[in-house]
Amino acid sequence: MRRANIVSGIMLALFGLVMLFAAIPWQIETAPPGFVSPRLVPNITMVVVVVLSLLLVIANWRAPVNGDDAENASPIARVELMALLRIGAIFALSIALFRWVSPLAAGASLMVVTLLTLGERRPLPLVAIPTAILLATWFLFYKVIGTAIL
Amino acid sequence: MDHLMTGFMDVLNPGTILWVAAGVTIGYILGAIPGLGKATGVAVAIPLTFYLTPVAALGMLIGIAKGSAAGSAVSAILLNTPGEPSSAPTALDGYPLARQGKAQKALKMGLFASVIGDFVSTLILILLAAPLARYALFIGPVELCAILLFSLTFIGGLSGGSLTKGLIAAAVGVFFATIGLETETFIPRLTFGLLELEDGISLVPMAIGMLAVAEMVNQAGNMKALDREASAISDSAAHEDRVITRAEWRRSLPVIARGTLIGSVIGILPGLGASVASFLSYGATKNASKTPEKYGTGMIEGVAAAESADNAVVPSSLVPLFALGIPGSVIAALLISAFVLHGLTPGPLMFQQQPRLVADVYASMILASFIMLIIGYTCQRLFAQIIKVPLRLIIPGVLFLCCVGAYMETGSIFSIYVMLFFAVIGFFSRKLDFSFVTFLIGFVIGPNLEFTFRQSIQLLGSDITNLKHHPISIAFIVLTLATAWWTGRSNSRKAVVK
Repeated sequence: MRRANIVSGIMLALFGLVMLFAAIPWQIETAPPGFVSPRLVPNITMVVVVVLSLLLVIANWRAPVNGDDAENASPIARVELMALLRIGAIFALSIALFRWVSPLAAGASLMVVTLLTLGERRPLPLVAIPTAILLATWFLFYKVIGTAIL
Repeated sequence: MDHLMTGFMDVLNPGTILWVAAGVTIGYILGAIPGLGKATGVAVAIPLTFYLTPVAALGMLIGIAKGSAAGSAVSAILLNTPGEPSSAPTALDGYPLARQGKAQKALKMGLFASVIGDFVSTLILILLAAPLARYALFIGPVELCAILLFSLTFIGGLSGGSLTKGLIAAAVGVFFATIGLETETFIPRLTFGLLELEDGISLVPMAIGMLAVAEMVNQAGNMKALDREASAISDSAAHEDRVITRAEWRRSLPVIARGTLIGSVIGILPGLGASVASFLSYGATKNASKTPEKYGTGMIEGVAAAESADNAVVPSSLVPLFALGIPGSVIAALLISAFVLHGLTPGPLMFQQQPRLVADVYASMILASFIMLIIGYTCQRLFAQIIKVPLRLIIPGVLFLCCVGAYMETGSIFSIYVMLFFAVIGFFSRKLDFSFVTFLIGFVIGPNLEFTFRQSIQLLGSDITNLKHHPISIAFIVLTLATAWWTGRSNSRKAVVK
């Protein structure tokens, strides 16, 4: 965790600095005379983030090294990172289908491709689960509650 | 009392009872599935309640929160995998009981302890919130700003393992709350020219992304181990192994009473949460026992202690929300948006402005407790089967419902982008131990914190020495500094111990 804390602290400090010196001046105008500046609270929060992130980096940097593998090991397992990337790709595909084909295709693909990615190969669950959930959603909104959601 | 009777009359109709029952059932099922806790359930369900009447909608959401708090014991007992962290102490004795073929006994005790804890805590909420709110009306912007700052520091220090990380999460949460049109000057802030951001970032897609989608990604990476555990449990044929005996009731009732008290007190204090309560209650019960060495081997009192405290936290955590408008937990933070959506603004004024709707909420909460008992008792065997469904069949449906929930908030695909953005942030914040609870609470109280801060600057004439006229705010600023110092010290001690 020690290494992860140092890396995340540096990333957060950089984020805070970019916000303080680039995004906030660029994206928030100054206030008319007599008003409290709209930049005030965003600036304060980012100063807090930068200071605390640097504290996190320094505290972990100076912490005694005991040669334990755990302190340098990544808190994120490879399999978890792969799951994040895979599910991200599935969402990208579904959004593309939503925009250029239809919401129904997007919903069906989201469930079918996720099932396939997670290792389901039996045809019955691959057909039945998306069909049942899509039908249940349609029934709930269009018949029970009586409203169109698309 | 008159309002409460009116509340019961509003709630006791087939439509509302059905929605509350649906909420409790959904919550129970979500709670039973590891990783899908009450916060996930409430976040996904808020958009589904858009078209319900306020009473039915709030009743359903409260039902989900209560049902999932009770349901999380199912996977803790049967899988040794708590549905939520707060059920971890339940697994310490519940799982050994299940391995001995006494799963039904443990599940029943978990349910009864949950219902008693939840019901008594609901009564405490009803008795405490309104009197506290009367005092809260004397609090001005300067005092409120100091109280909000104190709450954020307190929550930041206690929600995770590190005060520094907790405060960073809180500050980033407040920062994201500043995005959108500024309320005084109407100057757009950090919108990057996107019209969708002018109203600010919506809490619902953000919460769905951080809580539900991020957790599903997490579960997708660990699902094989969970599926293996599910197939290893079987029931004993002996009747006494499936029911709670009189002797067990006699031993467990004082434990449940203590757990309820601990859970209710912990719930009222912002930021401590159900995990602290259930571990404290379990520890207190073990310490008070004449045979502490037997704990962890299948003591029914262990299940009673953890579950009564865990469930007592949910209603009492609404005390600071109702009395002061300050969410003390992630559930309370999510419920704010639902309450506002359905015409009830949490805070001291709601008791004067909408006493009937408040009474309806109270009546729904009491009704949900009874429905939880009925549904939990009659459907316990069925719920126990749900955990045997492999996670790979559950995750796709949950991801789809997340998209429906996020999309419905604005009717725009932009909400899905927001959900995915915060899913990535939620995933990394879990892994790197930056409390997403503190982030969400920071985001929710951010606008109020900024508003009262601006008012304070004007009231104090930009002169900090004028604080001497506001002793309550000085007290809370001192408390904030003391909390930061105290939690910072205990965090660094824990780090050294690690």
